[in-house]
Amino acid sequence: MSRQEDSLVVCEQCGKAHRWRPLVRGMIARCARCEAVLGRGHRLKLTTILALTVAAAVAFLIGISSDVLSLSMRGVSKATTLPGAISATWSEGQELVAVAAAITALIAPALFLALRLYVLVPLSAGRAPRGFAFCVRVLHHAGRWNMVEVFTIGVLLALVRLAGLADVTPGPGLFALGAATLLFAAIESAGLKHLWWQLR
Amino acid sequence: MSAAPAAGDEADQPPFLGCESCGLVSINALAGQEAGNRVQHCSRCGHVLLARKPMSVQRTWACVLAAAVLYIPANVLPVMTTVSALQREEHTLLGGILELWVDGSWALSIIVFIASIAVPVLKISVLTLLAWSVRHAPGWRRLERARLYRLVEAVGHWSMLDVYVVVLLASTIHFGRLANVSAGPGILSFAAVVVLTLLATYAFDPKLIWDGPVTEAGVSSTPGEAALPADREAAHAGRAA
Repeated sequence: MSRQEDSLVVCEQCGKAHRWRPLVRGMIARCARCEAVLGRGHRLKLTTILALTVAAAVAFLIGISSDVLSLSMRGVSKATTLPGAISATWSEGQELVAVAAAITALIAPALFLALRLYVLVPLSAGRAPRGFAFCVRVLHHAGRWNMVEVFTIGVLLALVRLAGLADVTPGPGLFALGAATLLFAAIESAGLKHLWWQLR
Repeated sequence: MSAAPAAGDEADQPPFLGCESCGLVSINALAGQEAGNRVQHCSRCGHVLLARKPMSVQRTWACVLAAAVLYIPANVLPVMTTVSALQREEHTLLGGILELWVDGSWALSIIVFIASIAVPVLKISVLTLLAWSVRHAPGWRRLERARLYRLVEAVGHWSMLDVYVVVLLASTIHFGRLANVSAGPGILSFAAVVVLTLLATYAFDPKLIWDGPVTEAGVSSTPGEAALPADREAAHAGRAA
């Protein structure tokens, strides 16, 4: 029913149609009307993105399974992990806050990584995964609600605030989450739509 | 809202539609006619193709107003209660920032101020301005409004910072009567403000900024054959990064 126009790109922000030309590395195409970014010429190779995603998954798993910070006060020491902090908030009666934190710091990034891996592994082998279109749509939302970078800065802030009260040490989880944050940014810079270009 | 139809209220029908999910451009089969109940789907990924997000302004208003109302308890109610051997203290958002400032950690208090006060206020006021101007000032400073929207979209999720800090502090400091921190009711309102402003940001359709009568010379937002040839030269005047 609808004829497709391969040589065109429509600005996501204002809907203006532009003629598509391949970009050289380092070039950024902007919308002629609203100046939003239409595309970048520094796209990473699919295998590079896959490698980054695997690395991010490892970093994220370490980040959520080990302590982000630990403190000791008069001989009593206590360590916190990301899921531990969320479940403690839940059991304290702040269920909705716990749910918001769980979705943004745990579920969205986990979904982001799991679906990326599920999509990227068959794509790099030249096959289209089952439910590809659905996965890309879910990935769009997972990327929007992924706030691991904010959580990482939150841990730093909590560390500084606690420093005056007790003996605090940053845990390995903090560094892992920091690494995951940087990897997430690198993966996201390539966007999502390029995944469809692999299906040609 | 007034009952009179305002410019920019009806979705313009552009000649081309870009798929939100896969980016493929399709010819708008419904251009120039009453859309009615018919919908077009992307031929590659099957996602629905819409010229404008449905009910965008209404949904933005609903979320922004709810966020603005909840912003009051978020600031008035304590977000955190600290109990030590000697005293019990309740901290509000602004109070926490003030404490940091008085303690001498200015950089930190500025960061928290930006994340907890400046970003939510910016989001609520910018989205109010954008939603209002779609109906009442459609031709006013379009490029600046588009930039404002992109700014709000980019910095929006940083206001979650204080929620995480309270979650971390409240779960870590449990030393019985010696020292205890618990989350207060204010943090729930604040988390709701953050989520609602994000929902409002995603509900707003920035394409609405470009609807309505054209005022600037050289910029065409009217659908039709004339739209594309004019673009050829300007499009992809790519700038080096």
